[in-house]
Amino acid sequence: MRFGMIARVIAGTIVLRPLATMMRTLLPLVLVAVTTPALAHSENGVAIDFWGGFTHPIFGPDHVIAMVAVGLWGAFLGQPAIWLLPVVFPLVMAVGGALGVAGMPLPGVETGIAISAVMLGGMVAFAAKPPLWVAAVLVGAFAIFHGHAHGAELPIGADAVAFSMGFVVATGMLHLGGITFGGLSHWPAGRVAVRAAGAVISLLGFAYLGKIL
Amino acid sequence: MTRLFCAALVACLFASTPALAHAPLMGIGGVFGGVIHAVLVPEHGLTLLALGLVLGRQNQDARRLGMLIFVAILTCGLIAAALISEETLAADLLLLATCTLGLLIAATWMPPRLVLCLAALAGLMFALDSKPDGTSATESARMLIGSGLGAALALALAAEGAVYLRGQTMLIAARVVGSWIAAIGIMVLSLRIVTRMTIG
Repeated sequence: MRFGMIARVIAGTIVLRPLATMMRTLLPLVLVAVTTPALAHSENGVAIDFWGGFTHPIFGPDHVIAMVAVGLWGAFLGQPAIWLLPVVFPLVMAVGGALGVAGMPLPGVETGIAISAVMLGGMVAFAAKPPLWVAAVLVGAFAIFHGHAHGAELPIGADAVAFSMGFVVATGMLHLGGITFGGLSHWPAGRVAVRAAGAVISLLGFAYLGKIL
Repeated sequence: MTRLFCAALVACLFASTPALAHAPLMGIGGVFGGVIHAVLVPEHGLTLLALGLVLGRQNQDARRLGMLIFVAILTCGLIAAALISEETLAADLLLLATCTLGLLIAATWMPPRLVLCLAALAGLMFALDSKPDGTSATESARMLIGSGLGAALALALAAEGAVYLRGQTMLIAARVVGSWIAAIGIMVLSLRIVTRMTIG
């Protein structure tokens, strides 16, 4: 009887009361966090806001692996490639985006994107360390394809500042993800893991290439 | 109590959404509405951030001269914005100035004279692009005053804050942010030009 009372008191003070307090604090927070504002949508159903732009590159797995590969390769090459490649990529990507928005044709866009995953993943897998300018030119050349694909899908007639902000920030976050994982290459075991990740990206690129061809 | 306050703060952050360019801020007008407009409209916020980052890398005299030029031209521009009613290319030119500033940050090449010219251009275009639509003359004047105050305060904070960005990591972060700003500018400018050519 006494043991039961003690157990209830302990359960009440140690478990239930903090749990209830936590729920009172967290529940409104979670409810507010999951709500989304009602926003105008473009003709193809894409939200023309920050979130719509942010999710745009993330929902394209071929884009995701290539952008992560840029970060991985930058981390693998070390300074100054670790920050130069993620600076070059969005700038050239924006130029590609402008070409896409303008409707200027670029042959083999999807093929170029798939090859970017094959090449960039392969560079990491084979631990290739070319001169910095070669790495920058290679990354920039592939960024044109990625930018063109996104630019062609940008909703015409919309004020796209927030959309573009989300889009560019998401690209940067994907690079950062690659750089963070690439940081493991400082250790021998991590180096193997990073090269393996590069190999997986390259294989996925081959799979996309096979699907296109 | 502290936990509740923190939860409320985080909830507010989660619930906040970016203000869309020139979207009406419902229920907020007057000087305060102008201050909010200056800081929360994405284009204007980007401009102030870019100019602040560039001015923050200048020496003290050049930085203060840049801010002074921005505020002086901004004031003239706000008076002009209150008087003229025609549509201008201010939004596009402001974006062009922002894009150029982003490129300068990414390249860490910031010649003082070019920076001062860009500060003047940004100030003028910022002011002309701040004119609220569909409001009375009095309300419009109040909002323009608020926009001026908000822009000047935000630029001072950004520029003086950027002075403290020291060390390799911070400078790299600034370059990355600069490249993002330039990329956003290039994409949006091209979209606007194409839209104008398509729709008219």
